[in-house]
Parts: sequence; structure tokens; C-alpha cells
Amino acid sequence: MKTWFKSGSPWIWMTAGTVSISLVAVLGLLLLIAWRGLIYFWPATIYEFDVRDQFGNINTVVGEIHDREQVSVVQLRESGREIEGEPTDMVTRYLVKTGNREFVELDFRWILETDIIERRTPENLAKVERQKNGNFYGEVVEVLDSGQPIAGDLMEVLFERIDRVADLNSQMAAIQHSDIGSINYKLEKIRLRERGDEIRDRLTQERIDGYNAEREALRNEYLGYEKKLFALRDETTRDAVVVKDMRGELVTISMKYVLDVTFPNRMGVFSKAAHWFVEVGKFISNEPREANTEGGVFPAIFGTVFMVMLMAVVVTPFGVVAAIYLHEYAGKNALTKIIRTAVINLAGVPSIVYGVFGLGFFVYVMGGSIDQLFYPEALPSPTFGTPGMMWSALTLAILTLPVVIVSTEEGLSRIPSTVRQGSLALGATKAETLWRIVLPMASPAIMTGLILAVARAAGEVAPLMLVGVVKMAPTLPVDGNFPFIHLDRKFMHLGFHIYDVGFQSPNVEAARPLVYATSFLLVTVIVGLNITAIGIRNHLREKFRSLEH
Amino acid sequence: MITVTPTGSAATRDLSALTDAETALEIKNLDLYYGSKQALYDVSMKIPKNQVTAFIGPSGCGKSTLLRCLNRMNDLVDICRIEGQILLHGQNIYDRKVDVASLRRGIGMVFQRPNPFPKSIYENVVYGLRLQGIKDRRLLDEAVERSLRGAALWDEVKDRLNDNAFGLSGGQQQRLVIARAIAIEPEVLLLDEPTSALDPISTLTIEELINDLKKQFTVVIVTHNMQQAARVSDQTAFMYMGEMIEYSDTNTLFTTPEKKKTEDYITGRYG
Repeated sequence: MKTWFKSGSPWIWMTAGTVSISLVAVLGLLLLIAWRGLIYFWPATIYEFDVRDQFGNINTVVGEIHDREQVSVVQLRESGREIEGEPTDMVTRYLVKTGNREFVELDFRWILETDIIERRTPENLAKVERQKNGNFYGEVVEVLDSGQPIAGDLMEVLFERIDRVADLNSQMAAIQHSDIGSINYKLEKIRLRERGDEIRDRLTQERIDGYNAEREALRNEYLGYEKKLFALRDETTRDAVVVKDMRGELVTISMKYVLDVTFPNRMGVFSKAAHWFVEVGKFISNEPREANTEGGVFPAIFGTVFMVMLMAVVVTPFGVVAAIYLHEYAGKNALTKIIRTAVINLAGVPSIVYGVFGLGFFVYVMGGSIDQLFYPEALPSPTFGTPGMMWSALTLAILTLPVVIVSTEEGLSRIPSTVRQGSLALGATKAETLWRIVLPMASPAIMTGLILAVARAAGEVAPLMLVGVVKMAPTLPVDGNFPFIHLDRKFMHLGFHIYDVGFQSPNVEAARPLVYATSFLLVTVIVGLNITAIGIRNHLREKFRSLEH
Repeated sequence: MITVTPTGSAATRDLSALTDAETALEIKNLDLYYGSKQALYDVSMKIPKNQVTAFIGPSGCGKSTLLRCLNRMNDLVDICRIEGQILLHGQNIYDRKVDVASLRRGIGMVFQRPNPFPKSIYENVVYGLRLQGIKDRRLLDEAVERSLRGAALWDEVKDRLNDNAFGLSGGQQQRLVIARAIAIEPEVLLLDEPTSALDPISTLTIEELINDLKKQFTVVIVTHNMQQAARVSDQTAFMYMGEMIEYSDTNTLFTTPEKKKTEDYITGRYG
């Protein structure tokens, strides 16, 4: 034993053990999030249960099994249930998602295993995904066209009509977002120009007439679109689908609201897999619906990536230049040391403090001044004097600045002095040496700083809540209206989306899988950003690999 | 005793009596301090044109420091202070008016370890020319061929000029660095122990190269290796503890040294 101890093996076991625990922790975390998040998109079997209630009546319940847990008999008796069995027995309890929100009080209910008389999986049970009120579960009976049943193969007709409505809906969305959105944007611009003239005292009758004429033209254009839109809307209300729900009643759902109908009980593994990919694709590319509990997260992905990139564009040159001064030009004295220590310590300041600083300085002071100088016509409603994309990026840039400075300095100090001297001996000035030799050789270290900065920035939520992130942004920060990039706009963020869906959602059970799915997506986005940066860094390292000397 | 191969220079001369036309650099009463510690004591010497001058001496004797004074590389050391003069064309290079960058264009330097830049062979050679703003591709191509031939490297690398310079061997890298230095056509070439990191064969190549270089350039070489000094140099300066002990023709210094310290050193009693 003693010799074993002396041999040093326990030490190796201990160190290896810590590494394994870390590894298990990381993999466990990723697997849990990935599993919980990704099975959400797997088409779940729809069950039809015959359930006995407290009074002995038998009801039919249709829905997906959302969750299951073990409850002790004692606990059930305490809650007033009559139940047989020993006190130590455990009973399985299912959480069933029944949908049909407008007809039942809750679209989730708990069912005890012991209450279930029979469980069936009829093939013709369908899940109808709707724009409003969540999913509807039931049996598709017929498809109506202007109130009249359509003859022919039910499935064929159903999917044909769904495609038709989807097509109409996308046309409508296009008109609403691009055409009408752009008209509204132009109208707002005209209002601002008019107000600007008024402030500067040069609003002549001639100009007013001009503005009114422009407005009139836009209004006519708008009316045209509106007419088109209404026509399309009427088209969408033409068809309807009749579904028999679990109470046995026929419910007519207008096709207008139907996004998709699936028959999971008929699907094999392959069609389920295909469906899974389609659902994941929709989650990534669609906008959220129903207070973020349904639909996709595209605006949040876009907001996160765009904000992080903007931050990188700001923080990299700033941090690199600061590091160059500190390392190359500043005197090697106490003051430089104090500054360097202060910069390193900045990295330890809680991020919410940066948020408060961003709100106080960027939003109110800088934004307020910008508004007064450049956008007086929009006041009292602020343009830049309100949280937005630009201030978020700047706040995070300050937050990650220390990381970039520290790693750039590290990179600068690792460049062999012989290479610098070689350049100086050829008649280069210090600045020329910096530009031509030192900075290219330090670029892998700069990239390392950037990787750390991106990793930190993409995961920050707290400061952003103060300086620009919102639950639901009506428009993306990039669109087709001049000047195309609108840094004054508020935006959505995956991190905040997780918080919002998880804690602020009106429908906790429905939102929970989305929390996992969004978390997994956030991790994927960060890993994606990092892998890109690491790839660039490795390429640079390969190019400047003299550091191995 | 060391056998000395005659280097072809004339018989013993008085080096302090060189005329200005024959002198490339003149050091006058140079004192150098690192902080409060003095590293060079009252060094005076004349370095003749188009010849090879070697500095020898034990480690820490100040020979590299003296060499680095000649192109003001010591300016990079914050605590370094210099008194005295070094004259190039009759002008003190430590004068305020002197532009250090253009001085270094006139006095090139090759370091102990090969220090190519992380660029292609071609870009390494034209680095100094690009600094001077030369963009004409034809001029650059010519300079690359001329310099690489001058450094006896052309035949080995002419087919891979765009390869990274780190792909070369240590000896090739050192010759590349010499090519880089002579590409900007300096008057004086300073070599700071150029072969100490190289194998014997590369060393031999470089020594042969030094012999060719003196046709065009004044060469000053610092070396640890007395045989090397004897082989390549026309005159040799022996330094000890920051002082210039003896400076004369290589032949004379190695065969009939005047000073006891010199004799002790070259006969291997210390160092």
C-alpha cells in the first residue's frame, strides 16, 4: 500500500479523475439539453385513453404523453384520491397534452395509470397545428369548401387545401412585411422630414403640399395593397376542416388558422425522421407565435449572431490598439502596471454592472445627445436614446475588451525579439515593424482573444436586458428599407428568449421543451461561432508558425 | 598554437594610421553603460573598408555590444547610455540629426540565430526594398536573384521562391537572412556570431560567403571561434572585460600578440 502510494499512482488517478468528472459534466449537460430539446420535434404518438373519473364515469381523452412520473400512494390519498394498494406502492402518472384549448380548461392534464381502462392508438387521429390556440387533436372527418363538403380522397384534398392556404399566407406575410412595412416606413420618414422643417422654421406651404402629395401617393399605394391583402384573406377563409374531438363533437376549424396536419400514428420511423427534420427547420427559420410558446426562433438567432458580430467588429480593433500601446509604447513603470491590472480586473466586474453603465452612459447620455443633434424631429420619441442593437453591441464590447487586450498583449510578448530586431536592422521604423511583422505574427493571439470575447458575449443576457433586448421585436435590425441596417432597433436574443419562455410564459408545460431546444440552439450557435474563429486562428498559426522556435 | 592561413592582406600595418578614404567606420573613445554598470571602456578603432574585421574575446567581454553600437541597435535597450563617437563618412552616427532607420539601411546586420520573417523566401528578400517603397516587380525580381546569388543560396531556392522561409534549413535560413541584408546594398555588414547556431558544413558555406562579401561590403564579424576569426578576417580586435586589448592584423594578432592577455586567450588559458 505504502509503495503504491509512493509510486505516485494515486496522484495520477486523482488528476485523471478530476478530468473525467469535468468531461462527464460537460457531456452530460450537452446530452441532456440536446435530448430534451431535440425529441420535442419528434412526432409523438397520439393516444386515445378510456379513463374512469372519480365518480366512476368513463371518459375518452385524446392526446400526446408529454411527461410521466412516479407518485406514492400516500401522496395521492392525502390529495383526496381513493386508491388501493400498500402505502409503499408507487403509481405511474402521465401528463397528457390534450390541446383543444378553446374547449377544455387546460390543455394539459394528469392521468393515473390505475384510472386508464384502455389505451388505443387509432391511425386516423390527427394533430392539427394552428396559428391560434395551440394544437387540436382529433379525427379529421371532412374538408369543407365554402361550407360544402368536398368529395374525393380525404387526405389528398386535405393536403392540397393546406398547401393552398400556406401559399396564400406566405403571400400575405410578404405583402404585410415588405410592401406595407416599407410604406409605413416611408410615411414615418415623411412625417419626420415635415417635423424637421417645422423645427428649422422652413416649412412653407409649398413643402406641406409636397409632403401631402407624397403621402397621398403612398396612401393610394397602400390601399392597393390592402385590397390585395383583403382579397387573399377572404380566399383563406374559404376552406375549413371538420375534426371530431375527444368529446365526440364535430368542430369546424377554418383553414386560415391551420398550419399543418400530421398523422403520427400512421408514420413509420423514416417518415417520422423526415418530419423531424422539417420541424427543426421550421423552428430555426420561423418567427415565434403565441407569446413565444409556439413557432420558431429565427429573429432570436439573427439578433444574437448579428449583435455578436457587431461587437466583434467594435472590440477587436479597439482592444488590439489598446494592447499595442500598453505593450509597445507605454513606459514600463508603475502607472502602466496599474493600468494593466485595472484592465484585467475589469473582466471580473459582474456583467449586470456593465448593463447599468450601458444604460446610463450609452443610452441616456450618448443616445440622448445623438437624438438632440441628429434626430430632433423625432423627439419626444427617442431614436438612439433608447435601448437598441448598437448600444447592446457597445456594452458587450466594453465587457469583453479586457479579454482581447490581455490575449493580444500575451501574443505581442511572445514574438521573438530577434524577429523585431531583424526588421529594425533592415531600416524599418518601429511602426513599420509593427504593421508588417509583429501584428501578423500576433494575429493568432488576437484571434484567441476574439474567440474568448465571442464566447463570453454570446452567452450574456443580464446586461442586454437593460440595453436593447426585448421579448418580441416586430422587425429585424436588417431589412430592405434604406439604410438597410437599423442599429437603433431593439432585437431578440436567444439567451433572453430562454429566460422569457422559461419564466415569463403563460403556458409553462408547453414552453418547457422549447427552453431545452432554445438552449441547445444557443450552445450550437456559440460553438459554431467559436469553431469558425478557431478555424481562422489555426490557419493563421500555420502561416506564422515561427513561434515554435 | 593556432595555424593561420594567410588572408592575402599586406604585411603588418598600423591600423590607427588609416586614411579617411580607407576607413569605413571610426570609433572614438566610446564608453557604454547599462544603467550604472559600464560595459565598454574607452574603445577607439578604425574599421577599414572592404575588409573583414573580427571581434573576438570571452563571453561577456562586450564584443556584441560594440557591434550593436555600430548600427545603433543598442537604442532598443532603455537603460543603455553611450558616450563618445562613431564616425561614418566623418559624421557621428549618434548625432541628434541622424535618422536611425536610414542609418540602418546603410549598415546591415545579421544575427546569431537565423531570424527569417514568417513570409515567403521572396518576400523576405525584398522586405527592405518594400520598406523603401519600391514596387516595380522587375526591380524586385532582379534584386532577389542578385541577393540570393550573393548569399550563395540562389541555386538551392530558385524554384521555390514563394515557399515559406521556415521550410529552409538553419544554414539556408542564415544565408537567406544575409541575402535579405545585402538586398538593400548597405556599405557595412555586421555579423553577430552568424554561425554559432549552425552545423559545421553550413558554417563552412557561410565562411566562404564572407570571403566573397568583402569585395562589395565592409564586413564586421563577432565570433566566439578563434579559428573562424583566423580563417575569415583581415584584422582582429581582441576584447576583454569591456576593453579593447589589442587590435591588429589577424596574422600578427594570432602569431605575435603584443599583450599578455591576448596571448593567454589565444593559447586557451581562459575564455
